[in-house]
Amino acid sequence: MKRKLSTILVLSLVLVPLMMGGAVAKTLKIGSMSPLTGPYASDGTDIKNGVLTAIEVFEEQGGIPGYDKIELFAQDTACDPKQAVAAANKLINLEVAGVVGAYCSSSTIPSSEALSEEDIPMLTPASTHQDVTDRGLPYMFRLCGRDDDQAPAAAKFIKEALGAKTMFVVDDKTTYSQGLADGVVKAAKELGIQVLDHEHVNQGDKDFAAVLTKAKATNADVFYMSLQGYSPAALMTLQASRIGMKSQIVTQDAVFQPKYMEVAKDASEGVFLTYGYTDPNTPEYKAFEERYVPKYGAIAAYATYAYDAATVLLNAIKAAGSTDPAKIKAELMKMDVQGVAKQIKFNEKGDSGSAYIAFKVEGGKFVPYWDPEKGMLK
Amino acid sequence: MDYFIQQFINGITLGGLYALIALGYTMVYGVIQLINFAHGEFFAAGGYVGVIVLSYLTGLGLLETHPVLCLTASFALTMAYCAFLAVGVEKVAYKPLRKQSRLAALLSALGMSIFLSNGLMLTQGVYDKAYPSELFQGMIQVGGITISYLQIMILCMTGVLLVCLNTLVFKTKIGMAMRATAQDKIMSSLVSISSNRIISLTFAIGAGLAAAAGIMVGLYYGSVRYDMGFLPGIKAFAAAVLGGIGNITGAMLGGLIIGMVEVFGAGYISGEYKDVFAFIILIAVLYFKPTGIMGENIDDTRV
Repeated sequence: MKRKLSTILVLSLVLVPLMMGGAVAKTLKIGSMSPLTGPYASDGTDIKNGVLTAIEVFEEQGGIPGYDKIELFAQDTACDPKQAVAAANKLINLEVAGVVGAYCSSSTIPSSEALSEEDIPMLTPASTHQDVTDRGLPYMFRLCGRDDDQAPAAAKFIKEALGAKTMFVVDDKTTYSQGLADGVVKAAKELGIQVLDHEHVNQGDKDFAAVLTKAKATNADVFYMSLQGYSPAALMTLQASRIGMKSQIVTQDAVFQPKYMEVAKDASEGVFLTYGYTDPNTPEYKAFEERYVPKYGAIAAYATYAYDAATVLLNAIKAAGSTDPAKIKAELMKMDVQGVAKQIKFNEKGDSGSAYIAFKVEGGKFVPYWDPEKGMLK
Repeated sequence: MDYFIQQFINGITLGGLYALIALGYTMVYGVIQLINFAHGEFFAAGGYVGVIVLSYLTGLGLLETHPVLCLTASFALTMAYCAFLAVGVEKVAYKPLRKQSRLAALLSALGMSIFLSNGLMLTQGVYDKAYPSELFQGMIQVGGITISYLQIMILCMTGVLLVCLNTLVFKTKIGMAMRATAQDKIMSSLVSISSNRIISLTFAIGAGLAAAAGIMVGLYYGSVRYDMGFLPGIKAFAAAVLGGIGNITGAMLGGLIIGMVEVFGAGYISGEYKDVFAFIILIAVLYFKPTGIMGENIDDTRV
């Protein structure tokens, strides 16, 4: 009897607060998917930090009526399609209201198939491959631009602004990097630029001496570098300058990360890259900068897009007054707001438009240089 | 011809680095028949300790005034640190399992590798750490061939380390004790060689060499990151097997071959298959000579 009593006492001590907690606190669950380990961990961590910042700001502004707390379940995809699908299934089991992610197009595409079976909205801050939104999934949204917009913009820049006649292309064989490189090759050929060679390297490589020696021997006007992430790009830039390669380096959006200059140092000066235009003078951007930089350091490629993705998702849930996917979608489609990264208005595919311009690395900073419509900036 | 020589220099630089890492695998295998999969992490740890020491010295302003001294100090500190780390790992993860099956120690090694690389990620962060770039700037141009001072430094340093190791193993008493332990642990303990001490020493030397390779890789490529140990670890392991695991000269040769094949494969055929070429050579050699190029079943050069 005594033992029974004490058991009941212990059980009640454990259970009552739990039940009370359940009755009082209601938590809104949202998920994020990005590579938190592996070669792209830095970019993935930026995405997670962007989402965390968005939740923090949103809760300070009052949150969502009926919910005490917004909780983020950050999943690691490791930029691996299999792990991404597993992460998506985990988020489905947690019954999240929406997902921000993933980073690599090769992860986003299969994991979005899993999420769409349960009608969970997915907003990618970073996957630029055209198939992400071209498959007609009803709950797939994209905050960043598309490769089939970026590739022609890059080719046009190489032709018009740099006046190049020949180019050497290298990619690292991911869905994103190779897709973009193929697009640039195609667009460049249409503009009459001669593509001397299209080489591939492996993900995780550090030594590019062999490929760079080959590129140097062709003496192309432009060396187009399509790599997944700033880290291999910084290594390649540094090694290219060490062997005295004279070709102008042009690269793409995944390299838009201040760490690129930190690692490549002087070698990065004068490198061009295409990236979606973000106006750093909007009040939204300034407010984000003030909050993000002291906590997580310099703003990198996709932190702003992740922040915007989470913010529009939370606002849509708030406006819909429920986590019903159809209602969230209706609210998302209505939106036309100025975000931190860009103006956000989704079209029927789920894209929100691209505004690719060319940046130049100058004095350790990315400086807007050329616009497909306006030509040279400044 | 210029192109060939240029790629040859690229290959020999890379091969030398693989050789340095491969030695650790082969020496440990020689002494306790364990494939130490955590060895790649000693290399990564070396890269990190190197960048920490060099950044600290840069902060003090010493790197500009005494570059050679600073470099020597960072090599010495890093190699010492990794040697201690390796001895610690051996005591924690392998020594308690020495009487168990070899599979248990192998699994322990894999676990240690994951533990160390994740530890590095958690303590040092996921971002690349940049090496000071002031060291060994510039290059020599001979016709169409470019050799950077860094490559020269790496080649010299690798050469010096390999010669030192050879002298240690084949010309000194300690080396003789190591070779004796490798051949027969019981017999060598009967002539009062402490096998525990020799095993610790083997781990320390192997890790020290890997740490030196770590600094040189950091200097050469300009940065280090937490997962840098994995791929070179696998390649160096392949190099050790190619040369005949357990054989020191074999590991050096294997490293150079793997580096060369990779660079020439990428330079003349295609960059995307460079790893494939390296492993094709490995398979081909093992097919015709299963013990590796220099490997023999009983060999007094084994350590």
